[in-house]
Amino acid sequence: MAPPMFESRHSARASHLPHRPKRVIIASTLAVLIALLIAGLFANILVTAASTTGGTLRTDIWHLVRMTSIQAGLTTVLSIAIGIALAWALNRLRFFGRDLVIGVFAAAIVTPGIVVAFGMLSIWGRSGWINSATTYLFGESIGNLAFGLWGIIFAHLILDATFAARILLERLDAIPAARLKIGQSLGLSPWQRFTIIDWPAIRGSVPGLAAVIFLLAFTSFPIVLLLGGGPANQTLEVAIFAAVRQQFDLLGAVHLALVQILVCSLVILAAAARPPVPISTGVSTGQNWHDRGPARLLQWGVLGLGIAGFLLPLLAVIFDGVVADLADVLTRPTFWRAATTSVVIGLSSAALTLILALGLGLGRAASARRTLRLGLGLPVFAYLAVPAVVLSLGFFLSVRNLGIAPAEAAPIVVIIANALLALPFASATLGPPLEGLVQNKAKLIRSLGLNSWQQLRYIELPLLRREVGVVLALAFCFSFGDLGVIALFGTQDFQTLPLMMYRALGSYRSDDAAVIAALLLVATILAFIALPRLFERLLDARS
Amino acid sequence: MARAPALTTGLHPRFHDRNPGPDGPRERDDPMIKSIPLALAVLAGAATAATAQETPNLTIYTYDAFAADWGPGPQLKEGFEAQCDCIVEFIAADSSIGALRRVQLEGDTTDADLIVGLDTAIAGEARQTGLFAEHQLDLDGLSLPETWTDPTFVPFDYSHFAFVYDEDVVSEPPQSFEELIDRPESFKIAIQDPRSATPGLGLVLWIKAAYGDDAAEIWEGLAPHVLTVTSDWSESYALFLDGEADMVLSYTTSPAYHVFDEDDHSIHAAMFEEGHLAQIEVAGVLESSPNKALAREFLDYLASPGAQAVIPTTNWMFPVVDLESELDPSFSDLQQPSSTLSIAGEEITANRDAWIDEMLNALN
Amino acid sequence: MLVLEDLRFAYPEQVESYAFTMEARASEITAISGTSGSGKSTLLDLIGGFAVASDGSLSLDGEDLLPLPPEGRPLSLLLQSESLFEHLTVARNVALGLPNADRKAKQQIGEALEQVGLEGLEDRRAAALSGGQKQRVALARTLLRDKRLLLLDEPFSALDEETRAATRQLVRSLTRQQNWITILVSHNADDVRALADRHYVIRDKRLEQIPVEPIARSS
Repeated sequence: MAPPMFESRHSARASHLPHRPKRVIIASTLAVLIALLIAGLFANILVTAASTTGGTLRTDIWHLVRMTSIQAGLTTVLSIAIGIALAWALNRLRFFGRDLVIGVFAAAIVTPGIVVAFGMLSIWGRSGWINSATTYLFGESIGNLAFGLWGIIFAHLILDATFAARILLERLDAIPAARLKIGQSLGLSPWQRFTIIDWPAIRGSVPGLAAVIFLLAFTSFPIVLLLGGGPANQTLEVAIFAAVRQQFDLLGAVHLALVQILVCSLVILAAAARPPVPISTGVSTGQNWHDRGPARLLQWGVLGLGIAGFLLPLLAVIFDGVVADLADVLTRPTFWRAATTSVVIGLSSAALTLILALGLGLGRAASARRTLRLGLGLPVFAYLAVPAVVLSLGFFLSVRNLGIAPAEAAPIVVIIANALLALPFASATLGPPLEGLVQNKAKLIRSLGLNSWQQLRYIELPLLRREVGVVLALAFCFSFGDLGVIALFGTQDFQTLPLMMYRALGSYRSDDAAVIAALLLVATILAFIALPRLFERLLDARS
Repeated sequence: MARAPALTTGLHPRFHDRNPGPDGPRERDDPMIKSIPLALAVLAGAATAATAQETPNLTIYTYDAFAADWGPGPQLKEGFEAQCDCIVEFIAADSSIGALRRVQLEGDTTDADLIVGLDTAIAGEARQTGLFAEHQLDLDGLSLPETWTDPTFVPFDYSHFAFVYDEDVVSEPPQSFEELIDRPESFKIAIQDPRSATPGLGLVLWIKAAYGDDAAEIWEGLAPHVLTVTSDWSESYALFLDGEADMVLSYTTSPAYHVFDEDDHSIHAAMFEEGHLAQIEVAGVLESSPNKALAREFLDYLASPGAQAVIPTTNWMFPVVDLESELDPSFSDLQQPSSTLSIAGEEITANRDAWIDEMLNALN
Repeated sequence: MLVLEDLRFAYPEQVESYAFTMEARASEITAISGTSGSGKSTLLDLIGGFAVASDGSLSLDGEDLLPLPPEGRPLSLLLQSESLFEHLTVARNVALGLPNADRKAKQQIGEALEQVGLEGLEDRRAAALSGGQKQRVALARTLLRDKRLLLLDEPFSALDEETRAATRQLVRSLTRQQNWITILVSHNADDVRALADRHYVIRDKRLEQIPVEPIARSS
């Protein structure tokens, strides 16, 4: 009885949607362009592959898929569970430094994986703070927990569980005050409060989040190699890299890449096919309903563990940078040139990401047809599913085949690649509230006869201004300078901060690397604290 | 971001001085800022073309760190331009394998006249591509751990693979693979993936050269000591410096950096009784190059004492000529292996994949 | 009897604080009116415990309410909207009014729904109800809770005329029957006229009692 009723309710609600054909057309165009770009990259590789002699593929694909899926599945389940617990604790607790904790949590996902991994080792490694402390206090070390499957998952959790917490906290903070008042006056228990008030507010965000986290873990590369402890824990992405680089087996790489895309597509489809869930947006006022008793203790416990597990590693990165020679790095002109390049790249990619995320998200929210919604949901993730080495190869060949000198095209390629890379995260942030908003306000918008622009200017942007700020911060920091995609382009002068950090690490200068990592992290945290607030003001409907 | 950086780090560990300070090589322009003058240059058209005809361009593909401000590239460019009446342009891929793959992808249409920075483990495969021309140089005067007979590639620096330790942490380092295997399991080493890092491949070849058919047993013995297998040298080395691993797979020349730059004399390479495998870095001329004579001139320069003097403290490898007193003391004081192991290039090319699988299976 | 004596509150940027003094009696509906933004909802928040008074007293039958958290105060709340959790069924929404769901609960819920004229709708999802039905479900829940105080914040404003009259009637009869102290915040003169036994207006952050028109008493 329940499902058909739900369906009919769903379609009845869908028919209330304002008629926005242009939005659907724009979104469809963007989706097609992204699909064409990726198809083009593959086509260019295949054309070249036909003229090279391929090696023989020696990888046990299914073993790799199985191992990678287990790792990614565990990472996803734990990230979502821990993310919910952290968001729950942060939503309830008020303490000095709360904004900073949230800012640092948000920053984790865009921090280069290798920085997070080394931060984790600073705390939990053999010579880390915890082992040093226990050795000093009890003469006994806890051993090294940071390597192997659990090491990989732990490092992934630092990136992903905090990201989940940040996104879900946004939803909890948006629960309308009226609903909380009713709940509070009814004296709901903390558990009832979670199941009745919190869960409906966050469940719409969970599938998209889970998909993004799964894909990230599935395609993870440096963390897996650094902490995996050996080939037993490797991912398909690593095998694809080996096929291209070591064996120059382009056909084999395309083959493996297609397997990876297939597996990822199943996850993406599952997430993208979910019907929208109405949700509230913005920050509701008067959230001062504190749980009492054991629940509150539990919240402090969760927060304490979250800080020890996730915040300390990131703080360790900053600490290590500060104790290294900060002034030496800051007085170098190369540092400032790299910083400028990073900011220019970051701002351009952030703008492009926002346009893409809004364009696709608005179109998806405006379409009632299930298949169309699915079609508009897929390209968001598509890029994440394609192995990085295939992308870098595809971009290189495409640019050359277009007759452009690779070094000249490099900045544009980096901006496009980084924007597409940030898109899934941007969509996980913007998508659910965009859809929820249209569902909630559809009648009002139609009854007022608002046109598409008015709807965007007076309803969507003002109500989603925090999310817009978060998306920009996310995309900006993401694009700070990951240059993997132009690995072959021959652009040694085109240096960004992360690249400068890797180069320092590759030349014995771990102190320089530590300083740059710390500065990157600080800049990221600042961006995450400042940009959402800035846009909250800029896009305020009153202005 | 969790994935792409591995590509940027480069497959090939490079050791280079970090301080491109005021007296370092001249600053390069940011390409984004450079694009306006570049557009003007295109508009200038004919004039530019005329200049280009008078002064030939030598385009060299190499790896990132070789061409970097603090690497040997800028000084070599200056040195060669002073004698050749040409313009040297380095184009750096993320790694030496990346540079080779780029040439393979570009085939006959490549802009490259030369590749600088391949090593002996990949040279055989590079030769098989048929893209390289013979160097036609007389290389008898070189000082290398093995006699050089390769007609295609010219060596320009070398070092032996070795495990590096800190004497404050490891007072008595193991003196052979077997001694290393006999250590308690808590004695950890960080190594690199042979599919992505040249020292990682170097270790596979080293063990193969020392133990032949017993190599798999050595790998199985090493397995409990392997803390982790990183994609790049830099990550392993950072783990070692952070105290996570007791020893790291690196080079016999690694301690020179710590002496030269940090005045730290506690880092050493463990000398193994089995002998050590050398990594020899090479350069080669491309058959498709219209400037082959000029390219050969550059190879000649690269192997000359003038260019070789630049290499040690920029690329942290031994020079291939005897610099005598000109060699920095941080290098001349380094411990040297008792014997050098080697495997023929053709044998590497034929068996590399099988040997890597052997290693991966043993560690699985 | 609910007594507010010089109950004070100010928002952060406000210079002059609200100062509320009033009385509300059992079985009576005390109406609060005032222009938008005059502080009607603030007054309800203070009584409900959602805003913390800076000074003054608030007592119910002699018991000081100020130290109690919202969930500890003997009151039920009915808002303009959002009174129900839309994804839950009617029965689950009503059951939230019971301290613990035992065997008797089902019967109690049925009785309460019957009293508000919604018998048989237990399994309907709250989202599928009309505005008037939602408010009546909320009243059924209030009935089960049976707290001394009932706070109503513009509860009829989203309803059409007919539903409005019926719901008003229900509020009045339940107040009498359960001996509740009902406080109604409304800017709608009809609501006030129809229901108020006692009437205060907020002017300049103070409450002023004004006489109740005789029509209300007789209807």
